[in-house]
Amino acid sequence: MFKEERNFNRFTWKDLGDINEGRPNLGLTVPVFAYRLLQYTFRDVLITELGIEKTNDIIVRAGKLAGAQFCMNLLNRELDFNEFVAQLQRVLREQTIGILRIEKADIENMNFTLTVAEDLDCSGLPFTDEVVCNYDEGFIAGILEAYTGKLFSAKEIDCWASGDRVCRFDVREVRTDK
Amino acid sequence: MIDDIVDKITMLLQGKIPSKIDTEKLDNENECEFSKKLNQLIDFMQEIHEFIIPLSKGELHDIKVQPGNYLASPFKELHSRLVHLTWQATQVAKGDYEQRVDFMGDFSEAFNAMIIALDQNEKLLKKKIDELEKAIFHIVKLEGILPICANCKRIRLEGAPYDKQESWVQIESYISNRTKAEFSHGICPDCIKKLYSD
Repeated sequence: MFKEERNFNRFTWKDLGDINEGRPNLGLTVPVFAYRLLQYTFRDVLITELGIEKTNDIIVRAGKLAGAQFCMNLLNRELDFNEFVAQLQRVLREQTIGILRIEKADIENMNFTLTVAEDLDCSGLPFTDEVVCNYDEGFIAGILEAYTGKLFSAKEIDCWASGDRVCRFDVREVRTDK
Repeated sequence: MIDDIVDKITMLLQGKIPSKIDTEKLDNENECEFSKKLNQLIDFMQEIHEFIIPLSKGELHDIKVQPGNYLASPFKELHSRLVHLTWQATQVAKGDYEQRVDFMGDFSEAFNAMIIALDQNEKLLKKKIDELEKAIFHIVKLEGILPICANCKRIRLEGAPYDKQESWVQIESYISNRTKAEFSHGICPDCIKKLYSD
């Protein structure tokens, strides 16, 4: 199931299992450092094996899978955009994933600027002059893809790690020329 | 050299932006390195200056601090929050009361309370308008010419056949069903005379 050879993604929410049943004593949550240990050790090894570009691409794609499943399982996709954004902000806060703040929303052109404060990926990282939230990029794009049914790209333009104290993303629909 | 540096730092402490040190003219390696760092500080402070003044005037767009200016980070965070609040206020102006401001201290509390109050007031207003529209509808129903029996004063229901007795209802019933008015019964002086003349 998790280990068979394949060339397509098959991850779904139920692959996460019944955490309540499996962790009756330790519960649903873990410290943020456990999340970062996983992500940054993966990143470290992937860079040595595949290089930076491929590594970033893999992390974005994984984030997209997660974002789409998150949207399909925890969010109501029937809401109109404003209600959906309010819901997303609330759920991200309740699940302690991050503090979402919209700065610009051009619904007609499907172009958004948003920030995520206190995010899991990078808040508190040492300053390195890099933007590092590739998983968040994918996660945000995945949520919007699942909500709208259209292709999205999210590009981080400011990051805690680049000294900005907040992660800002430019999110837009990917329009393919027919 | 030291006097020049003290002057420049004094200017920085006074909120002014001094000119940078010409490092090309310095022979001493330590002085050169120190001067480069001071120049970088001057650059950072100048950038902050050019960022924070428009920000203090509410000009949120077309201002930017280059990555790597860590001294400016809190101002960038402030800018980000103000841009978000501007979006929130715009949404409220459009009638979107779903949004909430998170984790901005007293401001969140005040802003969210305002959105909830606006939402409640609008709902109350809509309810009142609805009630008024219904009242107007009833009033309109009482307008026009009412067919009334010349003898018993019953009123014929709208569209009901003339020759059926059930088409004709008591005037009290007719008005009570179309307004909030209720009737209490008594007898006027003329009728008392007619009914109890003995």
